[in-house]
Amino acid sequence: MLEAAWSGFVQVFYPGNFLSLFFGVFMGIVFGALPGLTATMGLALLIPFTFTMTPAAGLIMLGGIYVGAMYGDAIPAVLINTPGTPAAIATTFDGFPLAQKGMAQHGLVAAAVASAYGSLVANIVLATAAPPLAEASLKFGPPEYFWLGIFGLTIIATLSSGTMLKGFLAGGVGLLLSTVGMAPIGGDVRLTLGFPELQAGLELIVALIGFFCLPEILSSVIGQRRAAYASQPVKPTLSVIGEVIVSLLKKPGLMLRSSAIGTIIGFAPGAGGNIASMVSYNEACRWDKHPEEFGKGTIKGVAASEAANSSMAPGSLIPLLTLGIPGSPPAAVILGALMLHGMRPGHELFTTHAPITFAFIMSMLVAAFLVTIIGCFGSFVFARIINIPARFLAPAILFMTVLGSYSIRNNMLDVWIMFFFGVIGYVSHKLKFHPAPIVLGLILGPFVEEGLVQSILTGRAAGGVLGYMVFRPISLILIGLSLMSALWPLYASWRAGRRPPERCAEEGSDA
Amino acid sequence: MLNSDLIVGCVCAVLTGLVYFLTRDLSRLGGVFVNYVLVALGFLSLLLLIKGLVRPERIKFFESAVERNNVLVGLIILALYLIVMPKAGFLPASYVFYGVFNLYLAEEKLKTRNILQSLGLSAVVVTVFYFIFHHLLEVPLPPGSWFES
Repeated sequence: MLEAAWSGFVQVFYPGNFLSLFFGVFMGIVFGALPGLTATMGLALLIPFTFTMTPAAGLIMLGGIYVGAMYGDAIPAVLINTPGTPAAIATTFDGFPLAQKGMAQHGLVAAAVASAYGSLVANIVLATAAPPLAEASLKFGPPEYFWLGIFGLTIIATLSSGTMLKGFLAGGVGLLLSTVGMAPIGGDVRLTLGFPELQAGLELIVALIGFFCLPEILSSVIGQRRAAYASQPVKPTLSVIGEVIVSLLKKPGLMLRSSAIGTIIGFAPGAGGNIASMVSYNEACRWDKHPEEFGKGTIKGVAASEAANSSMAPGSLIPLLTLGIPGSPPAAVILGALMLHGMRPGHELFTTHAPITFAFIMSMLVAAFLVTIIGCFGSFVFARIINIPARFLAPAILFMTVLGSYSIRNNMLDVWIMFFFGVIGYVSHKLKFHPAPIVLGLILGPFVEEGLVQSILTGRAAGGVLGYMVFRPISLILIGLSLMSALWPLYASWRAGRRPPERCAEEGSDA
Repeated sequence: MLNSDLIVGCVCAVLTGLVYFLTRDLSRLGGVFVNYVLVALGFLSLLLLIKGLVRPERIKFFESAVERNNVLVGLIILALYLIVMPKAGFLPASYVFYGVFNLYLAEEKLKTRNILQSLGLSAVVVTVFYFIFHHLLEVPLPPGSWFES
């Protein structure tokens, strides 16, 4: 296997393959950075280009797109409080406050380095331990998914320690919004208000743009007539790159934990980068000696989110390459590409097609380094974007929010939903009813519902729903983690000697 | 000063009632999750309403009348853009929106130079993104019902 891995590594550096990889990474960053375009979309759109390529070059390019997009989504998250893809939602919590403090370059470099680190760790796991991990992923049944969703929801407790009641209420509203559309089991059409377009549910990216981007522009640029998008102008310097890299390398625990969380959540089929980044952010905040820094602009928050969502990408390929089960939507597109090139997932991939498979795996490893280079040096250009006067930047951002919302499903209803959520987000922000838990509920709702309903059905057949849902090893671990996570703010408060609970992120809020 | 707890609690309680009304005919499997969420939402709304009466959190919604007017005008311009776009088409509506919004946010008085600058920027930004999305990514942007015939 080591020989195949080395041969794959060498293949990546063939001029044609390396050019494909570079093009893929660049396109991935562009797709990730433009709200409304996702890694899945980028992969799907560029797959036809691979038809004429050799299987290795084609897959190498797709690997580059996937890794690039996982970093690219951090750029708008840091600069304009709008996650490029749902996976960067937690990046906004600290990335945007950093940009507001004139430290956008710190955020962008931290995102690039953490993305590369996460991707590197997950790729090593993918290359060395894919088969046993894939078998472990099959142990995830409906109860485990349900509890994983509940664990995700307990993040609200950390996110809104100060106003926990409103936080959970917002989470409930998000769960309710997630039920719009056709029920995953049963097929009932719910809360569509007569719009057939809503049968597929609310589009997550539309909600993210609405809840995060529009309120910020309405509040600071339009309402308060700020001359610039950020409070302080950014002055990118070369020393920031070294400073951030050294600072992150001094936090091996944070980086490794975040990467491990991303990889584990990645190989559980169905759980995506958005859950990985939220869980990782929550854990980073809980285990940090200074949780009060989170939400106010710290590179630790950006790194936790980005390392997790980037490690999710190779993680999601573990069940794909070994069992043919895609761990995420982009992985499903890659499955299609594999099939198009006549490669069937499973044992055959690691024997007959080993050189190509390992070239693909190694390409993602190399892509991680390319992301670091492009991200670090690109930060000089990207960071300056928010120095553009608000009167020029705000209309462009608003225009792009409309374009991004429209292009996902090509309908105006999504644009109106974005507008509506933007207004709700603005009002709720003013009422200190922060929208981050709403989005969290919206993300986790389908996950929790499917797990719950399937568990009820299977549990009844097995003789007891409660027993089926609770008394399983992974379920018990997740229940324990959920309890710990939910009760953590109380413990933190007690530990701090009855001071008010330390707030982790004010939902990216006052950012 | 507004009682934010009371407002949020009331809105959530009304939302809970409304969703209950709209989902009461769902099948058992389609409704089980909705019902659990409604129970939780109703309970939390009630708690927040009680908190709003006992220990309210008071907030000032707008810092000034100017801020309120700015936000309202900004929202109206955006809403008009969305209303006009399907009729006038993506390109013409976007050119006008970008130019108008740019001028609206400008602090200086309207001068020929400002207007030309806004129009120039509008032409560049909108055309570039139109080209990327419509021609490269083949997103079918609204052609405009006024011009379809």
